[in-house]
Amino acid sequence: MKQSETSSAIKNVSTIQPDELKKVAGAEKPFKWWGPTPEEARKIMVNKPKSLHDKRTTLKEAVEKRIKDGITIGIGGFVNTRPPVAIVHEIIRKGAKDLTLCFQSSSICPELLAGAMLLYPDHISIKRVELAWWGYEVIGIAPLLRYLNSKSMILIDDYTNYGMSARFKAGAMGLEFIPVRDHGGSDMELTNRGVMVKSPFSGKNTYLVSACYPDVGILHVTAADMYGNCRIFGAHCTCPEIAMASTYTIVTAEHIIPNENIRNFPNLTEIPYSAVDTVTEQRFGCHPGNSYGDYWFDMEHILKFRSASDTFRKTGNTDELKRYYEEYIFGCETFDDFLSKMPYKTLKKLRDLDGGQLTILS
Amino acid sequence: MSQYTPFEMIAYTGSRVLEDNKIVFVGTGLPIIASMHAQLTHAPGLGLIFESGPLAPVLEMGMPLSVGDTRACRKACYLKGLSSVFELTQRGHADYAFIGGAQIDMYGNINSTFEGGTYTEAITRFPGSGGAGAMAANCEKTIAIMALEPRRFVNQCGFITSIGHGDGSPDYREKAGVMGSGPYRVITNEALFGFDEESHRMTLLEVIPGKTAEYIQNKVSFDLLISPNLKEMDEPTEKDLKLLREECDPDGYFLARKVK
Repeated sequence: MKQSETSSAIKNVSTIQPDELKKVAGAEKPFKWWGPTPEEARKIMVNKPKSLHDKRTTLKEAVEKRIKDGITIGIGGFVNTRPPVAIVHEIIRKGAKDLTLCFQSSSICPELLAGAMLLYPDHISIKRVELAWWGYEVIGIAPLLRYLNSKSMILIDDYTNYGMSARFKAGAMGLEFIPVRDHGGSDMELTNRGVMVKSPFSGKNTYLVSACYPDVGILHVTAADMYGNCRIFGAHCTCPEIAMASTYTIVTAEHIIPNENIRNFPNLTEIPYSAVDTVTEQRFGCHPGNSYGDYWFDMEHILKFRSASDTFRKTGNTDELKRYYEEYIFGCETFDDFLSKMPYKTLKKLRDLDGGQLTILS
Repeated sequence: MSQYTPFEMIAYTGSRVLEDNKIVFVGTGLPIIASMHAQLTHAPGLGLIFESGPLAPVLEMGMPLSVGDTRACRKACYLKGLSSVFELTQRGHADYAFIGGAQIDMYGNINSTFEGGTYTEAITRFPGSGGAGAMAANCEKTIAIMALEPRRFVNQCGFITSIGHGDGSPDYREKAGVMGSGPYRVITNEALFGFDEESHRMTLLEVIPGKTAEYIQNKVSFDLLISPNLKEMDEPTEKDLKLLREECDPDGYFLARKVK
C-alpha cells in the first residue's frame, strides 16, 4: 500500500479499499523512473550535437529511429488542440510494445494507440498511462479507455492537468520533483506516485509530484525553422515543457519558416532548437484536431473513429474499427495519403471555421 | 411565465451566482454559457480562464466546443499554456472554479474518475480529473453543476477526484495543502445549494417555484441542511432566454439537450 510520510485526512473520506491500494501506481516501491532518470536524461542532452543543423526528415525515419519497445512517450497538444496525429499514425504503422504514455488531456492520439493495441496486440501495446484526462469533450467519453480500464489491461496513474503539466515542467527544469498545491485531499493522493511531505520551511503539508522525463516527446507546432526553433500560436498547451523534458523530441510543423524569421522575433520562439531532434513539415498535421490560425477540428471525422471504437466496446465486433485502421492508417504510406482521403471541401471548411486567426510566420 | 428547459435554468442560475469583476475558470459546456450570460447582463467585468492557456478571450465566434480550440483563445488578453493558467490560479487570480462530475457528497467532494467496480478495474471509467481537481483545490470558490438525482448526490463518492470540504473537519483543506476556500455553490435545475460555514455541510438555499424542500431532500441520498432563509429560485425572463438561445448557445449544443 502507498504510504507517505505525512498525509491529509483523505483516508477518513475515501471508500477505496486497502486491497485496491496495493495495485495502484503509487504502491510501486521503491520509486522507479518509468522513463530515463534525470541524470540519464541530462547525459543524453549533454552528448547531443548542439550545432544549428538541418533536422528536417521524414516522419517515417524519425519514428523508425526513436520509437522502441518499452519507451515512455510524451504526447503534446491538449484534447483536440494540436494533437500530434501524423506522428501517432507513423508510430502505429511502425509498431512498439509495452509503451508508457504520458499527457495531460488527450483525445484521439491515445485512442488511436489503444485501438491499434486491441486489434494488433502483437504489433503495438500500451502498458501504462500517466494522465489527467482522456476523452473527447463535447463529442463524448473515450470508449477504448473505458474498455481497457474495465478489463484492467493498462495501469493508469491519475493526476490533475496541472499535476501533469508541472511534472513535465519539472522535467524541463532538470528537477527530480516539484511541489504542487493540488492532489492532496483527493483520492489521487492515495493512488498516484506523488507524495505528501512536510514543508521544510513552514512545516505545512505539501504535495510533491515526480518529474516526467519522456524518452520521446511528440508534438505538432504552428511553425518551426529547419533547426527546430518552434513558434506556437493559440494555446501553448504543455508543448514547450514536453519538448524540453523529453530526451528526444519529434516535431511536426504546419509551416517550415526561414531561420531569419526566427531571429527577427526571438521572443516568439517557444521551443529552442536544442530541445528538438527532428522537424517535419506536415500541413494539417494534427487533423482531425485543430491548429490555431490554420484549421478547426473535424468533428465528423472524430465521430467516425469514435463510433467505430464504441461499436467495438459495446459488441466486441472489430470489423468497423479494423476498416478504419486499414483505410486510414495501414492503407497509407504517409500522412499526406491520409489527408488525400479527405474531400477538399472538408479541409476548406475546417480552414474557414478557424476564422483566419492571426499568426506571425514572417 | 417563460418556458425554459432544465439546462437553461442551470445556465441562468450559474450566471446569477457569478459576481462582476471576478475571474472564473471554466470548462466546456454549461459553465461557458453561464459565464457568457453573466458577461452580457450583470457582470461585464467578468474574465474567463480556459485551462489550455487563454485568459479573458472574447467569445465572439460562438461557443468553444473544446477548451483549447480557436474560439476559446480568440482575442484573449493573455495566452500561454496550462502551467501559466494553473499557476495564476495557485497564486489567487481565479475566483471561481466551475466544474461538474458524476457524484457529489454532502461536503462537496466530487467524483469524475470512475463508477462501479474498482479503481484499477472500473465498470465505468470517466475521463479523469482533467483540470477539475486543480481548480477545486486552488480557485477561491468552487461552483459545481450536477444533475439532481440520488445516484449523484451520494453518501460517499466512489473516488474523490476534486477536493471539497473532505470529512467536514475545519482543517481538512489545510492538511491537504490546497489554497482555495472550497465548495461554495452547487447548481441543479431544481435547487441551488450552498455550504454551512461551521459544519461545511450542503445546505439548500433555493428551490424551484412549485417544489418543496422535502421534494429536493428526496432526490438527495444524504441529509440536507435547509437554510432558514429558504427562497424560490429566480426564473429566467424572456430576455434572458433570448440571450441564452441566440447569443450563448445558438446551435443548442448544451441547452437543447434533454435531462435523462
